[in-house]
Amino acid sequence: MIKIAVYGKGGIGKSTVTGNLAAAFASLGKRVIQIGCDPKADSTINLLGGEPVTPVMNYLREHDDEPTSVEEISKQGFGGVLCIETGGPTPGLGCAGRGIITTFSLLEDLKLFEKYKPDVVLYDVLGDVVCGGFAAPIREGYASKVLIVTSGEKMSLYAANNINSAVKNFADRSYAKVRGIVLNRRAVEDEERKVTEFAEKAGLSIVADIPRSGDIIRFEDMGKTVIEGDPECETSKRFFELAKLLLNDGENENE
Amino acid sequence: MTNVSKIISIYAADTSGVCSALYELGGMTVVHDASGCNSTYSTHDEPRWYDKNSMIYISALTETDAIMGNDQKLIDDICSAAKELAPAFIALCGSPMPAMTGTDMNFAAEEIALVTGIETFAINTNGTHSYLYGAGQAFAKIAGNFCTERKKTDKMSVNILGATPLDFSLNGSIESIKKWLCENGFSVKTCFAMGSDLSEISHAPEAQVNLVISSSGIPAAKYFYDRFGIPFVAGVPIGKSFSETLAQNLKTAVKTGKCLFPASERISSDNGFIVTGESVYASSLAAAVTKDLSMPVKVLSTVSDSDDGSLAKGDIICRSEEELEKEFAKASLVIADPLFSPICPKGRFSALPHEAFSGRCFSKSIPNLINADISGLLTQGG
Repeated sequence: MIKIAVYGKGGIGKSTVTGNLAAAFASLGKRVIQIGCDPKADSTINLLGGEPVTPVMNYLREHDDEPTSVEEISKQGFGGVLCIETGGPTPGLGCAGRGIITTFSLLEDLKLFEKYKPDVVLYDVLGDVVCGGFAAPIREGYASKVLIVTSGEKMSLYAANNINSAVKNFADRSYAKVRGIVLNRRAVEDEERKVTEFAEKAGLSIVADIPRSGDIIRFEDMGKTVIEGDPECETSKRFFELAKLLLNDGENENE
Repeated sequence: MTNVSKIISIYAADTSGVCSALYELGGMTVVHDASGCNSTYSTHDEPRWYDKNSMIYISALTETDAIMGNDQKLIDDICSAAKELAPAFIALCGSPMPAMTGTDMNFAAEEIALVTGIETFAINTNGTHSYLYGAGQAFAKIAGNFCTERKKTDKMSVNILGATPLDFSLNGSIESIKKWLCENGFSVKTCFAMGSDLSEISHAPEAQVNLVISSSGIPAAKYFYDRFGIPFVAGVPIGKSFSETLAQNLKTAVKTGKCLFPASERISSDNGFIVTGESVYASSLAAAVTKDLSMPVKVLSTVSDSDDGSLAKGDIICRSEEELEKEFAKASLVIADPLFSPICPKGRFSALPHEAFSGRCFSKSIPNLINADISGLLTQGG
């Protein structure tokens, strides 16, 4: 089983990258689970035709009780991808980080992995590793690899550096390691050079280069990923290449 | 690792201090914490629990409510209970969980007051401060909310501030302090807060002077001084000579209007006796030992966060087990709670149990030293 956590600055395209990667894995015949770990609960919406799943936190709030089955808090989307959203409390209240930990614990109790037997699990995590809860997806037993999504924008690279440092802080634990950077282009001047320089300095490789494309926005407006909308376009090809690279990693590790 | 205690016990927490301070005042005290946490308070820190009713509650905060920040549930539950029980006031205390999630306890208190029409206040506890901080804040809130008018002044009347069983147990010490005050020409107006109800406490501003018998009484004492100009004297009438000094200081404070700390007017000395515990009591005991037994004494204040004026020059605030062990090794006799004895040199320990440190373990053997012969402390051994 490949388990990957996707981090990056808020608004940089984490959910776009994660959703397309999930769709690519599914199109390659893999059983995929995508878990959105953001109180906004919009990670999986483009896998679900714009019809969102009930987030776990919403379920707890509405029922004042825990769900008794995975079905109550999940929905199957494009390619059979099982979509789950942690959700979170009302902004400004409670503890969203603890909400992620509680959701993971609940999913364990519901034996999600044992029952669904996924080949790939993707965690789409809110902007920065701001507290223990948002580091939960990289703890032992969850993701083993981290992808950092960034553009060439200064603040995006700043956040990417913070995330890389946060993961490095856990180097002595059996936590996930950063697999590489996904460059999500935003038409920044000299973008490739800026990101390449950052990657070299951080000792990371750029594992995917997603072009700035109107296709992404066009298909998202339709509640779809690019993979679903046009699997042959250049953007889709880049996601397929990334998915194959990660699958290949997994095969090499298993040997 | 200076804050790690591997061997010795720990003092009661701030929430216990609040509950203890407010226990007899007819209010409803709600600790916003997980269900079950009340037993820590009731079985360790509150000797009145089985003999005297009080509206002390835990909100039974659940993990989901904490994650969701479901403050409305807390507010609704308290309003519902208050409607049924009609408490004189409502006090809200935080614990580690709401502290971590940033629950706005002041807002909750305002909402509850609005709905119930009952005086409601939040006390800024988080379960990590000492009982003295919690009790001190609670006494100050009571003073600030219910002692707002001074219609008259009664000559030679005194309030006792800072009385909780955590420091004075239920061994007759508070009654002895009242008796000692009467013997010295004072009338006791109120006692914050053992043996006085809320209506009596509202007359506190009529007193001429306040006697602060523990650090938890200092914040309320400062309120009375700032608001009404009532001076305070910090000290516990322990032993014979120091009790006389303290009585004289009370009279001086009445005349001059100055706040006094007579227990700090002694010479702290290394290599003699060590007295540990809460600052006002320990410093008073040190003064009594110095005067009555002519022994050099050093106070190790083992629970206070800072010196409120009670300590003498050379006394220290010392809460680290490692530091305490080093200090104890230099002493000819350590007077401390029995749970300190494992880090004291053998044969140089005199047990003086303190409810806030060892709970009920030794509560039956806590001596009443008020205006009494203290030479027994030298013969207890350990």
